[in-house]
Amino acid sequence: MDILLHIELAFWLAIAAIGFAVLFNVPKRTLIIIAILAALGGSSKLILMHYGGHIIIGSMVGATLIGLLSIPAAHGKHAPPLVFSIPAVIPMIPGAFAYKAMLGFIKLTGDISLESYQIALDETVNNGLKAVFIIFALTAGVSFPMLISRKESAKEIKI
Amino acid sequence: MNTSSHINTSLQETADCLLEIGCLLMASGASTNRIRVTMERIADGLGYETETLTTHRTIFVIVKDSQTNEIYNSFKKTPPHGANFTLVSGISKMSWHAFENNWTLKQVKEEIDRLKKIPRYPLLITMIFVSLADAGFCRLFGGEYIDLGTAFVATFTAFTVKHYATKLNFNGYLSVIFASFTACFITSFARMYSIGNHPDLAFATAVLFLVPGIPLINSFSDIMDGHVMNGMVRGTHAMVIAFCISLGMLVTMLIFNF
Repeated sequence: MDILLHIELAFWLAIAAIGFAVLFNVPKRTLIIIAILAALGGSSKLILMHYGGHIIIGSMVGATLIGLLSIPAAHGKHAPPLVFSIPAVIPMIPGAFAYKAMLGFIKLTGDISLESYQIALDETVNNGLKAVFIIFALTAGVSFPMLISRKESAKEIKI
Repeated sequence: MNTSSHINTSLQETADCLLEIGCLLMASGASTNRIRVTMERIADGLGYETETLTTHRTIFVIVKDSQTNEIYNSFKKTPPHGANFTLVSGISKMSWHAFENNWTLKQVKEEIDRLKKIPRYPLLITMIFVSLADAGFCRLFGGEYIDLGTAFVATFTAFTVKHYATKLNFNGYLSVIFASFTACFITSFARMYSIGNHPDLAFATAVLFLVPGIPLINSFSDIMDGHVMNGMVRGTHAMVIAFCISLGMLVTMLIFNF
């Protein structure tokens, strides 16, 4: 495993999360925590995938980690957990798969031979479903701690 | 019907204040459950009972004085939606202060006015960070540093287009199409002249700043909380944005004939 590459990717994960955090106008005091959460969550996904984990499971694990860590962050920085978790999971969105699926759909609308249509259909369905399920995994992972703790507010969760 | 000529002004003011809070939260990107819980918590702190009905565009509230059994109800339409987590976090903090320290209505109103005045990040800073974020995406999907540059430039321009389209009061979805088209158009030149090794990755990632992350995640959490209607509305909203992004891409692809 190339450790340097992973550190570099973690850096870019953090940058992507900070970009969205600034776009969503988060309080300044939460920016560093968001960067750390994004780097941890995204790296755990990448490392899982490196050891042969499926991308959907990897995304689920990464998002759950971010969701769980957003609770102590919320206590420490006095902001709701969603302020931390939403910008932090966004670097994991399956942009490339959605794009490939989109390309595939365009290909499918064209007049092409039956054989290449079959191949395009296979690829499009595969990429589209991956994109959809990764998004589900991310949202479910982020909501996990609130669902499992059965509390209305993160402030009531004891840590 | 003879309505009561005597209107309890403090009840009315409380309802207006709660509606303002609810609308701000809805526009800033809080989930439905958070909006309801926050409004109830503040009303509790002020000594009233309240019931709310929250939809994407309108908020309805009933405030009840438990001593006199007087009831006041009112609607308010939400302002245009635009993510602002500083406001969500500030209101959440304020609701706990109001609940625990029994704030008066005046204190709550002053705090809301203060929170509304907190400036956003400067436009240039936002643009640079958002562009860096898309460059980061490009790297994560396997792009090289030249492609990162392409993604940065495309995002920077597309963000400007979106900002001014929104400012000129264009339809929100239409501004997404404009922005997506701009980003794809610029990265298409990189593809045409083969700048960098993976210009197609820059093409795919330069539009990612438009991704409706907040509606998507809120949609899921609303459905899980039982606010299925709101969840569906948010989900549809997110789907339409995603569709607009791909429409912008499609138009560019047709122009450049990839």
